[in-house]
Amino acid sequence: MQVERVDDARGLALCAAEDGSKSTVEIALVDVAPGDRVLVHAGVALAELTA
Amino acid sequence: MRYVDEFRDPELGRVLATEILAAVEPGRHYKFMEVCGGHTHSIYKYGVDDLLPANVELVHGPGCPVCVIPMGRVDDGIAIAREPGVIFTCFGDMMRVPGSSGSLLEAKAEGADIRMVYSPLDALRIAKHNPDREVVFFAIGFETTAPSTALTLKRAKAEGVPNFSCMCSHVTIVPPLRALLDSPDLRLDGFVGPGHVSTVVGARPFEFIPADYGKPIVVAGFEPLDILQAIRMILAQLADGRCEVENQYSRVVPYEGNRRALEVMAEVFELRPHFEWRGLGFISQSGLKLSEAYADLDAEVRFSVPGVRVADPKACQCGEVLKGVIKPWECKVFGTACTPERPIGTCMVSSEGACAAYYNFGRFAREREVV
Repeated sequence: MQVERVDDARGLALCAAEDGSKSTVEIALVDVAPGDRVLVHAGVALAELTA
Repeated sequence: MRYVDEFRDPELGRVLATEILAAVEPGRHYKFMEVCGGHTHSIYKYGVDDLLPANVELVHGPGCPVCVIPMGRVDDGIAIAREPGVIFTCFGDMMRVPGSSGSLLEAKAEGADIRMVYSPLDALRIAKHNPDREVVFFAIGFETTAPSTALTLKRAKAEGVPNFSCMCSHVTIVPPLRALLDSPDLRLDGFVGPGHVSTVVGARPFEFIPADYGKPIVVAGFEPLDILQAIRMILAQLADGRCEVENQYSRVVPYEGNRRALEVMAEVFELRPHFEWRGLGFISQSGLKLSEAYADLDAEVRFSVPGVRVADPKACQCGEVLKGVIKPWECKVFGTACTPERPIGTCMVSSEGACAAYYNFGRFAREREVV
């Protein structure tokens, strides 16, 4: 999923899937910024995808 | 689609398949275990096995989280779900797993308030919206899912949500792999290592496989080219006489794992002395329970559960399938009495289950051309 917006205060991010659907994701385990791509499992971003 | 299209390129797939064919020794049979149910799903969805020489055999491992839950745990969940005032929440796949007298889905049809969630955070949200009800989350899965449960329990504690609790059935991946390697039933030449678990635990915990058992393991991603490349890497190790942990999935798996995830798991969970696995029996230190600091959020402390061990139905051979001893089509009830619509065994329930993957992608008994 791609990070669209980050809410640091609540440790959440709005992320978009490839099909355009959006969901709120817990980001306590990774450092991310808008534009980053993350691997999300059960509502939590586990890793940032790197080239 | 970045990170997807480039790993599904058919031309590169053909190149890798040619390299694999050139790397195998004619006359030698290779048996590799794909540990993760996600790999099993991809292999049959994309026909990866059709690109392999006949003397390279893939066997599925114990890495499908739904498949390894024993019937007794399902019964425990149903018992809690039937308590007055309880909203019982779980992942969708778990709803159809048969217990000794039906599934959670059937209990829901009979009136229990059982709700499907995509994340434990959804269950916590339900608890906040229903302060007069007890909301229980049935937590299953390996180290991939455990951090999500741990973070949710931390939030529940921090925000003071007294009506939320968790029935923890999380398991860890290393003990069953060790049990399989110790099993005389199975001779393996190498492992396609679990990709998503490794984003959390890293590749280091698998060092015991080459060190203690002399087998190569390559942690792999889930796209078809990931799996083909991992097989190519295992074959290269065998050809060179090497035996190591290698990381094919480096785009998301750091060798040391996700430190923050490991820390939150260590805070919230502790190892059970032993835990029952479907088909594998009791394995020491393979399951997680809530730590002392989070015991007040433990549904098994808050509610009474039967905790009875229930044997699998005699016709079901999920145990042998989970150990890779038989192929799904060799099970007596595969595709007849046991189908994804009416599963008897857990392996037919989840899309990551070996039987469901074989059934859904038409993999029945068949022969392949010998090289």
